[in-house]
Amino acid sequence: MFYKFAMISIAAVAAMSAATPLAAAQKNGAIAQDFKLTDMYGKTVQLSDFRGKTVVMEWHNPGCPFVVKHYDSGNMQATQAAARKQGAVWLTINSGAQGKQGYMKGPAAQKLSKDQGMNADHYLLDVKGVVGKAYAAKTTPHMYIVDGAGKLVYQGGIDDKPTANKADIKSARNHVTAALGELKAGKSVSVAQSRPYGCSVKYAS
Amino acid sequence: MFATMLAAIIFALLTAVSPAVAQTGLDRRELNVPATLVAESQQVQPGQSVTLAFVMNPKPTWHGYWENPGDAGIGMSFDWKLPDGVTAGDAQYPVPDTLLISGIMNYIYKGDYAVLVNLAVSDQVKPGPLPISVKSEWLACTDEVCVPEQDELFINLQVVDKDVGVSPNNAFNAYREALPRPLGSTATFMVKDDLFRLSIPLPADVDVEAPYFFIKEDGIVDYGAPQKVNRDGDSLIIETAARGDALQNISGVLKIASNMGFSLDASGGEVEMSGVPLSGGADSGNFTGGGDQSKASLLFIALGGAIVGGLLLNLMPCVFPILSLKAISLAKAGGDETVVRRDALAYTAGVVVVATALGALLLGLRASGAAVGWAFQLQDPRIIFLLLALVTAIGFNLAGLFELPNVNFGNRLAQKDGPAGSFWTGALAAFVATPCTGPFMAAALGATIILPPIAALIIFAGLGVGLALPFLLIAFVPAIRSRLPKPGAWLDSFRKAMAIPMFLTAIGLIWLLGRQIGTDALGLSLIFLLLVTLILWWFGGGQMKGLSRGTWATSALIAAIFGGVLFLPNAEAMNEQKVASASSTTLPSEAFSETRLSELRASNRPVFAYFTADWCITCKANEAAAVQRQETADAFANANVAVLMGDWTRPDPEISKFLEKHGRAGVPLYLYYAPGEEPVILPQILTISTLTDLVT
Repeated sequence: MFYKFAMISIAAVAAMSAATPLAAAQKNGAIAQDFKLTDMYGKTVQLSDFRGKTVVMEWHNPGCPFVVKHYDSGNMQATQAAARKQGAVWLTINSGAQGKQGYMKGPAAQKLSKDQGMNADHYLLDVKGVVGKAYAAKTTPHMYIVDGAGKLVYQGGIDDKPTANKADIKSARNHVTAALGELKAGKSVSVAQSRPYGCSVKYAS
Repeated sequence: MFATMLAAIIFALLTAVSPAVAQTGLDRRELNVPATLVAESQQVQPGQSVTLAFVMNPKPTWHGYWENPGDAGIGMSFDWKLPDGVTAGDAQYPVPDTLLISGIMNYIYKGDYAVLVNLAVSDQVKPGPLPISVKSEWLACTDEVCVPEQDELFINLQVVDKDVGVSPNNAFNAYREALPRPLGSTATFMVKDDLFRLSIPLPADVDVEAPYFFIKEDGIVDYGAPQKVNRDGDSLIIETAARGDALQNISGVLKIASNMGFSLDASGGEVEMSGVPLSGGADSGNFTGGGDQSKASLLFIALGGAIVGGLLLNLMPCVFPILSLKAISLAKAGGDETVVRRDALAYTAGVVVVATALGALLLGLRASGAAVGWAFQLQDPRIIFLLLALVTAIGFNLAGLFELPNVNFGNRLAQKDGPAGSFWTGALAAFVATPCTGPFMAAALGATIILPPIAALIIFAGLGVGLALPFLLIAFVPAIRSRLPKPGAWLDSFRKAMAIPMFLTAIGLIWLLGRQIGTDALGLSLIFLLLVTLILWWFGGGQMKGLSRGTWATSALIAAIFGGVLFLPNAEAMNEQKVASASSTTLPSEAFSETRLSELRASNRPVFAYFTADWCITCKANEAAAVQRQETADAFANANVAVLMGDWTRPDPEISKFLEKHGRAGVPLYLYYAPGEEPVILPQILTISTLTDLVT
């Protein structure tokens, strides 16, 4: 009898302590959750405005060594340029909270974007982490591709070599370039999900 | 040969100079999670293997990652440069911890840890230096930032002749103990409707503190989702959110306490969520995370549960007798309403303070290390013996054999008019009642341990309030008080009758003790108990004659109880007892040791050696089906086969090493040594004929 009471109360305490902070992840094949974010110039950008085009989303944190790997080597800029050349829209999203590593205000982002020669269409600020959590973005970088019909067709890492070593880029399979190529050819994405790697997204807790 | 020598000299030179010269250009002192490569022995014989350890020492606030890092992070990588004839095995990681930061789950190590790798040296390798070099990369993180780190590590081993002794590094015993132990049997998992369910065979008597399943394969479960754990007899069922990918087989580590876990493989199947819940989520650390409304209200529910629990404690067989007498004494305390109420409040304060203090002591003991839960302590027969002596003494006190001097002390204080007296009566009541309820509350107390300290203390305080609730009711509701019978001669008979539940409790404890330590040790403990009773009798006799024998009786009592505790077997001895009692089983065996094995082999006797553990279901099934059978025993007896049994229920470095040497990371292992021949490793599933065929 006493057990029962104690166990029920303890289970209740334990259950609440484990509230899920991250919203349910988006599913491949489902319509990607629409969102509005402010870009580094203060302009509002809405995902559904790009319906009809392929959209690539890249989670970004300039202080993360894994992001540095792909920008210092020029790999990310090249991937962005290739995607845009194919007619895709590239959204770079920063979900870092104020006071955390990688957090930037608009002007700082503009400077960084220029200095690093970023080729994204928009650099979006997601300070509250709402969009990051809606997509369950876990790492920087973490990549998502939405097709012209608004469906999520890829989520995962930028490539299949989870290291911070620039030398590994050459021999890696760039999942984003490969998926965009397949979409362009009217095929389905062969690797639609992979393990993202990098630093954790620095959300406001 | 010359080339190897030259390489060795170069390596020796490289290792001798300052680490800053290492080819990575990294100063080791600059690393946040520096690694040191250590060998279990500097010498290795051809055809043998040697274990290396990457000893990782994270700086404060930094952590390293398990092989599956969880949502973010990266595991360790190894790029070996090994001489010909040397091969490196898979890295073996200790049981990891969880670290949940804003919903992102990391599988990490916060303190120092060691990753082990076995190097196999072929028997073709000639004696001489054996330079080993490995380039390793890993990720070092704090809660805020991550830094990829790498280092090139060298170690120069020596290949020696087979007859040269090898001296092992004892630090490796601790490294091995931190590794998960392989579960003998296969688990079953299912991914269905966004749910992942895993059923793990784990005997009901294996203590599980704060279970968490670390999965090795990515893409199967949602790492950040809470894990629900149910216990159903000999299985543990874990349910959490799935991520969608399907696999035929998975593997992982079930953590059951800090630094304690089992590695396991699971194959697909049907899993039902049966049994009783153990916990709703492993990360109870979030609990005090701030003024969240729903959290506060749920703590309220828990507190309510604790108060009801405390109230029910009044009915426990060994508490009721004491407390019902207290209730009557409170009722007769006087007609003055305010005095009665004030005394009841003071009494409540006494109970709550002592209950909370005992709770704090418990949490403090636990925090101070030993890494043992309360439930674990209660399995120590010495604690049971202490409770048995206490319950017996209270029983004889109620029966009128003697008067408790402590109660007199309390009464004396109580007679000091005012709340102080009642406070001390309450404190005394809680003090006597709380340890006495121990065996009945083991599970509940164990559960408070998974809560953060503040919440656990509130629950202990709640238990105290519940315990005192009847007295508050008597004091504040005159209708109840007026219905209580007036004290009289009947009270003495009532008190004597109340001895019966106490003695029943004692019988329960004796049964429990007997199950733990066997009849021999139980007999011994009963003799000590008799001694305790005789001293009390003698003391009570003195009281009747008006003689004060207090000092003598107290010292004799302490001696008797201390003696009982001293002579009772501890957990380790209980294990020996179990091995010893194995000689009375169908197939008698001796405890395994390598020395005994070589003795037996030198005397040209055939030897059957088997390794088992209480938590290994396969082992137990094999023992029931094949090993402990009359046919087997007869066949072995005819062939004069010596039987050695290695019990791996608790970590045993000697057995761990022996298993490793035979290419097994776990039990069961069955070996048969025919005289003068190499051992035969028997299959993991045994039949009677597998065993009898060995000797016919």
